Amino acid sequence: MKTHLFDLAVRAAMSRRRLLQGAASLGALSAMGMPKGALAQDADLRAQILAIPGVGAGSPTDQHFQQVGELCLGPTKANVAEGEFAGVELTFMGLNNQNLHNILFRGFLKPWEDYTGAKINWIDLAQADYNPRLQQAIATGTVDFDIVEMGAPFEGDTAGRGLLDEMPDWVKEQIDMADYVAYLQPPVGTWDGKTYRITIDGDCHTFAYRTDYLSDPGISGATGMTEAPTTWQQVNDFSKKVVGQTDPLTGSPAFGFLDPLKYQWGGFGFYFLEDRATAYVKHPDDPAWLFDPDTMKPRVNNPGWVQAIQDVMDLMAANAYPPDQVNADPNATAFSQFLGGTGSMLTWWGDVGSNARTSDTSVVGDVVGFSINPGSDRVYNHAAGAWEEPEGANFAPNLAYLGWGVYVTNRVSGDEKKRKAAWSAAAHLGGKDISLWMAAYPSGFQPYRNSHFNFDEWEAAGYDRAYIEDYLGSNQESYNHPNAAIEPRIPGIFQYYSIAEDELVKGLSGQYGSAQETADAIAAAWEGITDQIGRDNQIKLYKASLGM
Amino acid sequence: MSTSDRLHVVTADDLPPSRVAFGRTIIWASGLLLLLSFALQTAQALHWVDLGLTTWRPTLYAYLVWAVCLCWGQVLMRGEQGKRVLFVLPAVLFVVSLTVFPLLFGILIALSDWNLSNPDGRKFNGTANIVRMWNDPFYWNALGNMVWYCLAIVVEYAIAFGLALMLNAQIRARKFFRVAFLLPLMLSPVAVSWMVGKSILDVRLGPIAQLSQWLGLGQPSFFGDPVVAMLTIMAMDAWTFIPFMMIMLLAGLQAIPQEVQEAARVDGASGWRGFWEVTFPLMLPVSVTAILIRVIFKLKLADIVITVTSGGPGGATDTVTSFIYREYRDRSNVGYGTLLAMVYLVIIIVAMTVLMKVADRFVRPRT
Repeated sequence: MKTHLFDLAVRAAMSRRRLLQGAASLGALSAMGMPKGALAQDADLRAQILAIPGVGAGSPTDQHFQQVGELCLGPTKANVAEGEFAGVELTFMGLNNQNLHNILFRGFLKPWEDYTGAKINWIDLAQADYNPRLQQAIATGTVDFDIVEMGAPFEGDTAGRGLLDEMPDWVKEQIDMADYVAYLQPPVGTWDGKTYRITIDGDCHTFAYRTDYLSDPGISGATGMTEAPTTWQQVNDFSKKVVGQTDPLTGSPAFGFLDPLKYQWGGFGFYFLEDRATAYVKHPDDPAWLFDPDTMKPRVNNPGWVQAIQDVMDLMAANAYPPDQVNADPNATAFSQFLGGTGSMLTWWGDVGSNARTSDTSVVGDVVGFSINPGSDRVYNHAAGAWEEPEGANFAPNLAYLGWGVYVTNRVSGDEKKRKAAWSAAAHLGGKDISLWMAAYPSGFQPYRNSHFNFDEWEAAGYDRAYIEDYLGSNQESYNHPNAAIEPRIPGIFQYYSIAEDELVKGLSGQYGSAQETADAIAAAWEGITDQIGRDNQIKLYKASLGM
Repeated sequence: MSTSDRLHVVTADDLPPSRVAFGRTIIWASGLLLLLSFALQTAQALHWVDLGLTTWRPTLYAYLVWAVCLCWGQVLMRGEQGKRVLFVLPAVLFVVSLTVFPLLFGILIALSDWNLSNPDGRKFNGTANIVRMWNDPFYWNALGNMVWYCLAIVVEYAIAFGLALMLNAQIRARKFFRVAFLLPLMLSPVAVSWMVGKSILDVRLGPIAQLSQWLGLGQPSFFGDPVVAMLTIMAMDAWTFIPFMMIMLLAGLQAIPQEVQEAARVDGASGWRGFWEVTFPLMLPVSVTAILIRVIFKLKLADIVITVTSGGPGGATDTVTSFIYREYRDRSNVGYGTLLAMVYLVIIIVAMTVLMKVADRFVRPRT
């Protein structure tokens, strides 16, 4: 769980009385119906670790990490004898953001080190240093770590170059990969049919909207909407019609959807154009939506993408954005504007919901609702070269960034003992039970297993059920959506996004003649990057990432 | 030892031929070792042979051995003269190692196609990066913006001169103002970006926007319009660096003897004529120095732009350095990014040389 999410949960958590009620109900549940045996033991263990240190009992410390790590050693003990890895030294590279990530891993793995006899050396990196460090290690052939915490978008750079070690079958069983939510199932984590990734995190964009805009008589009269829009056509229509109205909360001018018009955000800003575009271009019959898998020819200038850019241009022309929106990056759009009471809708990762209730600068409080990203009345079928109008609209949630995973590098491939040790350590961190604790307490990671969405467990642990269902429900629906737009894990994917941001803002500032010309400029830049990185290799890796 | 050598010689050098020969031998032997090592590593890098070498450290060690032998050989071969050479030679080798070699390596990278995501690594591509630069509208846009940014120095100079004159006069709380005016220079440009660009100028919550609304002037937009955005960036950068020019000019003003102004007043010069005909010409050398240094700082402008506007809207505030930052860091385009930086370096050197020549000619007749 991310820190802010935990803070929210703590605030929304039950009182001591409710906590006791929950504990009593869990106890009664076990006493009444649950069979004794493995299932009951599992439930007991999960309830036990969720009580460390307990919701509302302050932030967990290293002592708690070690306790959880010790309690979750069962799967390790089933596969590794005590002291089996004596003399083995491993190097683990990961992040230290907000004193999370590696800091937790150290505590979790301390009991593992004590039991197996192995020793782990740590490379801690700040987020800003992580990408250059990893990229340079890969490019210069100086990979100096055996286990690495890494985002799936880098799988093309690592697995695609043969730098990773294939996951042994016993690890797959130990971590119960079948429990992963749908979009994290293969091909994510795999290359050429081989599995490399132990998932420890999930990510997606969801749609957040102000409910008071839908109940305000003046705004509803102008927009004709009392229900949250579900398609981009409705969102655009709402955004144009709400201009001139007054925000019911702040009394300032009302605005509709907030596109972060300063898209330049190190590549991450392009996700927000994707939020619009996926509904137009991600056809249910076609896994590809950014490039043509056979040629790597960009699709970013096809009519669907052009429509997404045109939508933004139309809203700019209609003065549907707040003043100075061209200088609002995604961060400012979410945390300064939306949470500050400017605008009524946006797409973002999960933390807008939690911050709406916990942030001191948030004024939107409890008037925020969530759903999956809007769909579209029509979708562009790239294969047929024509628009289609599917019944019930086309929905394609943008699973922006694929979360963190733990990978083992090929440095250990030649030494079976070391290899088993590396995979055992990684599997310990990606275990089913320990992952529940990481999903529930500040760890830097989001829920990513179907078993994480068992709301009874959260409620029994002391969390507010309404909040958990509201907040996590939209994530769960996005994760498991059959037409979700999954990020291509090809080398340099953020290079494509970065240059697209530069060209997009040029287009939005009127330096290109039209949305089509803007999209053509992006496509031309993408072709240049593909040629530079190597087209044949990109085609091969793109197909592999799509599971083709 | 020549008789014209006026340096004190402690020992008379009577070098046996065997010692000289040994000195010559170690220099040549270590030189050959260095060449051999370099040749083998180059062959390895070109995949002609596989020696199992993964880094260039063997060549580095060979270079160190050669450097030591070269220094030692000087003493063996030339005695006292060789010892004198040792006062300079290690420093020369050190400088060459840390500047010349990296520069040569940088030129090699600049002429390469090297995207860190390319599995094939660096490839020499001749002048392709130069051609790309020539056709790159983002680079030319950034260069064009730099001209405007540099022209703003004229205004900065005028303000700095005015402030320096004020602080040079007998005003109340002069010491306080001297310190107060210097404070912006002590701030990190990134801090200025957040304090001013992101907070004070925030269009919704910033105090200026709220004052504007309170006065009924509507919501101002400081970064929405290309021209306004560039002027705002210029103002933030000026606020940071005007104190630098001011302090240099103030030092210059304080170095001018009081008698010169008094003599002008005795001759009947008004305040303005006294400034324009006496103070300003005397200040020209300091002014030129301050402006030249300010131009160098200005050409490196990046942090405020990266933090506040990312070069937008539509590239209106982009600088060469912020563009290179995006090309290098966000797009891992090491070869092209290095070329852009190299070309910019050449442009800066040429421009500064020309500027210094012009300034020299401009200043000389008046001093």
